[in-house]
Parts: sequence; C-alpha cells; structure tokens
Amino acid sequence: MTTGARGVSGKGKWSAAVRAAAILTGTVLLAGAAGCTAASPVSTPAAQARNQGGRAAGTSTAHHAASRTTTQAHDTAACNPVASSLRPAPGAPQVTPGSFMAKILARGYLIAGVSQSTYNFGYFNPLTGKTEGFDIDMVHAVAQAIFGNPDKVEFRGITDDQREPDVSNGSVDIVAETMTILCSRLKKVDFSSVYFEANTRVLVLKNSTATGLASLGGQKVCATAGSDSAGIISSYPVTPRLVLVTAPQFTDCLVLLQQGQVAAVSTDDAILAGLHAQDPFTKVVGPLLAPQPYGLAIAKQHPDFVRFVNAVLAQYEADGGWAASYARWVGTPAPTPPAARYAD
Amino acid sequence: MVSGTALNTSGAVSPVSGVASAPSRRFRVGVSTTPDRLRLLLLVVVLLSLAWGGLAAFTVNQYSSAASGVVAVREPLSLDAQQIYRHLSDADNTAATAFLAGGLEPPAARQRYLADIQAAGTEIENATAQGGGTLGGAARDLATLSEDLPIYAGEIETARADNRQGFPLGAAYLREASGLMRSTLLPAADGMYTTENASLNATSAQATGLPLVIITLAVGLGIVVVLFLASRWLGRRTHRVLNLGLLLAGAAAVIALAWLAVAYAGARSDLLAAQSRGSAPVEALARADITALQAHADESLTLIDNGSDNGTYQATYLRQQHALGPGPGTLLTLAETAAGGSQAAGGATAAAGDAQAWYAAHARLRALDDNANHAAAVRSALGSGRSDAGTAFAKLSADFATGIAGGQADFAASASSGADAFTGLEPGVIAAALVMAAGCAWGLSRRLAEYR
Repeated sequence: MTTGARGVSGKGKWSAAVRAAAILTGTVLLAGAAGCTAASPVSTPAAQARNQGGRAAGTSTAHHAASRTTTQAHDTAACNPVASSLRPAPGAPQVTPGSFMAKILARGYLIAGVSQSTYNFGYFNPLTGKTEGFDIDMVHAVAQAIFGNPDKVEFRGITDDQREPDVSNGSVDIVAETMTILCSRLKKVDFSSVYFEANTRVLVLKNSTATGLASLGGQKVCATAGSDSAGIISSYPVTPRLVLVTAPQFTDCLVLLQQGQVAAVSTDDAILAGLHAQDPFTKVVGPLLAPQPYGLAIAKQHPDFVRFVNAVLAQYEADGGWAASYARWVGTPAPTPPAARYAD
Repeated sequence: MVSGTALNTSGAVSPVSGVASAPSRRFRVGVSTTPDRLRLLLLVVVLLSLAWGGLAAFTVNQYSSAASGVVAVREPLSLDAQQIYRHLSDADNTAATAFLAGGLEPPAARQRYLADIQAAGTEIENATAQGGGTLGGAARDLATLSEDLPIYAGEIETARADNRQGFPLGAAYLREASGLMRSTLLPAADGMYTTENASLNATSAQATGLPLVIITLAVGLGIVVVLFLASRWLGRRTHRVLNLGLLLAGAAAVIALAWLAVAYAGARSDLLAAQSRGSAPVEALARADITALQAHADESLTLIDNGSDNGTYQATYLRQQHALGPGPGTLLTLAETAAGGSQAAGGATAAAGDAQAWYAAHARLRALDDNANHAAAVRSALGSGRSDAGTAFAKLSADFATGIAGGQADFAASASSGADAFTGLEPGVIAAALVMAAGCAWGLSRRLAEYR
C-alpha cells in the first residue's frame, strides 16, 4: 500500500505502469520480429494495468518473459532442498553456553519474522489481538524450548521479499512465514528441516472456467513480490504468457481478485486455502504445479541454532504438538509429519 | 478664358475670403463673449459631473462586489475545500485508529469516521452548488472527489466486515482504502484548496487594489478644481461673490470624494486585516493540522501492519514530525507567527507545545512496540491516560480546532465589516453626480439668463 517503499504514491504507480508498458512493448516488438502471433493480446493487459491495475495497493505489473528459470528443477543437481539441514544433537534441545540460543535467552525474548496476513499460517487475529497460525505455533515451540515459556516471542510482521534480508542481517532470529526451502535461498540463509509440505495451485473466482495456469494465458495473475510463486507465474509455459501482478501480501492479491483486477492468484495451496476461507466465492483449481517444502529460515552464522531448532521440531512432531497444531489450523485428520532428512 | 478666369479669381479673392472667415469669426465671437463662455462652461461641467458619476459608480461597484465576493463566495469555497481536506484526512486517520482496536472498534471512533465522511460529502455538494466547479482545476478535483469518495467508503466497510469475522483480509482492504485516500482523494482536495485559496487571494487583492480608486479620486478632485476656478471666474465677471449652484455642486463632489476615500480606506484595512489575522493563520494552522492527522494515521498504520510495511509508515511519521516542528521554517512555527495577535494565537501556541508532548509519547510507544510489547503500544495509541499517545494527540488536535475557529471568527468579523463599508456608496456617488450636474446647470443658467 500506501507509502513510499510499497510504491503507492501516484508517481510510483504511474512509473510502474509506464515501465510495464515499456517492457510489454519490448516483448511485442521482439515477438513480432520472431513472427509470433501471440504478441498482440499481451498489449491489452498493459492498457488495463494502466487504467485499473495501478490503483491497487502497491501492485506493479510486469512481464518477465522467460528471463527466469523454474527454481526447483534448475537447482536439484546442485542440492536437495528437502535434505539440506543440519542434524540435531541427540535428545531434547539444549541451550548450550555461548550458543546463539544463550544470547536469545539473555535477551529475554525470541524475535520471529512472520506474516501478519496469511490466514491460518501466520496472521494477526483482530478478534484476539494476537498473531496466530500454524507457522506461529512452530515459533512458540522454539520459544518453549529456550525459555520454558512459549510466549517469550516478539512477532515482527515482514513482507515476503524481506524474509531473506531480515534473517541474514540479524533483524530477526528466525523466519516462520510459509517459506519454501529453495536451493537459490540456501545460498543466502539456512533452513530447518521440512515442517510442512505445500504445493503450488491456483485460486480463481467461483464462476471462472479456468482449470489452472494453462488456461489463463494472457491474463493477469497475482503473487507477492519476492515469493517463489512470482517466478513460477512469470516463467509458466503458456501462450500468450501470463501477466504477473505483484502485491505486498497475499491478502492484497485477494482484494485484486475480488475487484476483478486480476483473473487469478497463484501460490501454495496452504495460503490459497486461507484466502478461500476468507472468501467462499473463490475456488482452488488446477494440478499440483510444484512441491513447496516449508522450513524455518535462520542466518548462516548460526548453525548451532539450526541444529537446536531441528531438535525442537523433532520433539514437537514426536510429542503430538505438531499434529494438534495441524488439526487446528490446516485440517483433520493430521497426516504424518514430513520425515526429517539431513544433509550431514 | 484662362486670363478671364484668372481675373475673376483675383477679383473674387476678397469676397471668397470674406465668406470663409464669417463662421470662424462668429466662433471666435462665440467664446469671447461672456454668455457663450458661460454656455460652454455649463456644458463642460455638467458632462464632467455625469461622467465622473459613471466612473465612480463603476469603481464602487468593482470594489464592493469584490469585497462581498470575498465574504460570500470565495472565502466559503476556500473554507469548504479546506474542510473537505480536513474531514477526509481525519476519516483516514480515524478509520486506521478504529482498526487498531481489533474486531470491535470504539463507538466514538466509528461515529467520528461516519461524521467525517458525511461532512465531506455535504461539503463536496456545497462546493459544487456554489460554483466551485467553475475554476478549471477545481472542477476536475471536485469530480475526482465525488467519484472516489464512495469507493473509499465502500472499501472501509469491506475492511470492517472482514475484520469483524477475524479475517486478515480486512487489513488489506484498509491498506487499499488508505492508499486510495492518500494517492487520489487527498491530492484532489489539496488541489481544490490551492485553487480556491488562490482565487480568494486574487479577489481580495482586487478589493484592496489601488489604481482604480486613485484614478476616480484624482478625476473627482480635478472636477472640484474646475468648479472652483469656474466660480472664481464667474465672480469676477458678474461681481457676485457666490454662485449657489456651483457651491452646491462643489460640496456634493467633496462629500462624495470623502465618502469614497473613507469607505475604501476602511474596507482595505478591514480586508487586509481579515487576511492577515484571519485567513493567513487559518491556512497555516490547517496545513499543520492536516500534517499532524497524517502522521497520526501513520502511527496507527505502523501498529496495524506490525512491521509488514518495512518501516515506511514510521519513516513517513518522522518526515511529518520534522515538517511540523516547532522550529524555524516549520509548519507549527509558521502558524504561530501567522497567528500572532489574532484570536488564533492561543491555539497555535498551545499546538506547538502539545506537539512535542505527542512526539515524546510517540517515542515511548515506539519503544514499547520495538521491545516486544505490541499490546502496550496499541493501548498507548488508543488510550486516554495521562502519558498515552492517544491523549497527547487528542490535545494537539483540539488546539488546532480552537486556533482555526478563532482565526475564522477574526476573518468573518473583519471581512464582513470590510464589505459593509461600501454599503450605500454606489447610489450615493450617483446621487452626488446628479446633484453636481444639476447644481452647475442651475447656477450657470441663472447667470446666463441675466444676459438675455
């Protein structure tokens, strides 16, 4: 929304639209040169983006052509995201002297970067005045292991594109925000073992005939800036290409969908289920596009904390805490937790 | 034939020149004899009197319609535009603050929001009805306002409905609405205010401008001099000390000139006072007030987004705090200077002090929020305790309201007394001109009759 960084000032919005138009024009020219007939419909969304898309809070429309490769298939040769974490010490999690956990203990509270708007995973509940959800329960479990008190946490709402920088620069100790373990991200931050397995799908209005991204060619599809979903949308192989519209948060995408400014929202089914719960006049459609294993992100400087958190997760999964949280926030019956696999 | 003609011509020289010189001689005779001169003088002074009457009536009409335009049209429109801005800004701020409270907003906040939206709607209608749309830019801005206000209100209601169900989607709609308010509605209201204010100042300048009144007074004085010279000449010619008609005309001219000069000077000083003690402090206070409202909305939005805004709201808050001051060149100091000696002074001075109390409370609130005490920070923002940010802001807001009301009272008193200064002057100068013309005609024709 509204202020500078989110680009809602009138000028920002126009320049975004102009930029989008310029990019689109470029695409049209290139496509024209290549003799591609799919080019002309692409210009229509550009005009629409200028007329209406820009009014939405902090959105920008851009068409990244094929500049981005699909994240997962691309990197599997180099690493295995689901078996990338560090093995915990045997037994219950221990706050060892001199460790990062000891520093957090001395500070008196854990600082967690979370979403404030992802219904049922991490959101600010206006009825209770508290941040709640499945991701949030993971953080409470970590706080319980450090302090013996699950509530010694400061939750900082951060946007998706701030997750990597905030955990790397130490503004937050840990990020629990529907964050997919990706090889590209493993270069910048460490992850815990997998605590949830999501998969990319598509949310459309109930009366839509779309059956997935494949039937949305040339239309506008929303995702948050900095999310893996944005990359999937902009590189999805369909003609004409999908037009990616980014918003700060997925609830902003739902606003755009409700206002008819985008045709669909595409991201993890876990997030889409939360959007659907807030607007029953939507439906989740299409095949499973890409598995999204969620991990808790921790700075690379703190391998001790990674091992500690993995011990917490192992214990939480073993003592039934994980299943209870899953049943409360995601649905019943709770499945078996994802099997923990480690790199070492 | 040729020579005959030449002879004829030379022989005819004298009679021809005699024929030719007869009228010119008569003309010379016409102004050289006293009755002819009297006749000419009568014609000149009567025409001069009537012409001056026309000029003076035109002048008075110009000034008085500009002065009453200031009071009856331009100032209300400018005030409307300013109030639209204030109410929209307050609605944005109140909606955000009400949201902070969670699912059940405080009834007072809800009522204040509704009152703001209703008032803004009425003011937009008023401005349209009063012809606020006649100025190019203002017409466009008014159209934007009346189109987008319902959209904004709809988004706020959607936000409220979602919030009541415990959905985070409500916060997204609040952001969307606030974005629309800040990127479209407030700039339109600001544009309209700027246009109307410029038009108010231009009309006020027209009502206080010098050239026309100077010309009218100078021409009037010239006529008095002519009448004086005429009566002296007449006195010498006719050996009568006084010509009653000319005296009457001169007296009428002097009275009309004095009235015009006094009315103009009074209106000018009243209108200038209305500007310096009324509209200038009101404008300065309104600017500061609106900036404070936006900073307060930023305070609330920071807490609502709880960090998801990456600090941009707090950055905006600090920018606005910097713009507010007090300090050299800041809005609060400018307002205090502008309000000096007017009824707005009390509010402006109190605002400068209370703003600092609010900044201090805001800093305490931020410290709470940054140190894992979000709930206490929210309590401070909404609270009415002595050290709460909510209390400090309410005080500041009340100071602005007091100051603006004082400035408006000053403006209304001075400007309407300025406009009243011209009451009756237009028929007055016309009557004076008729008396002057009649006096001259009567006085001179009586002398003229003595030559028959």
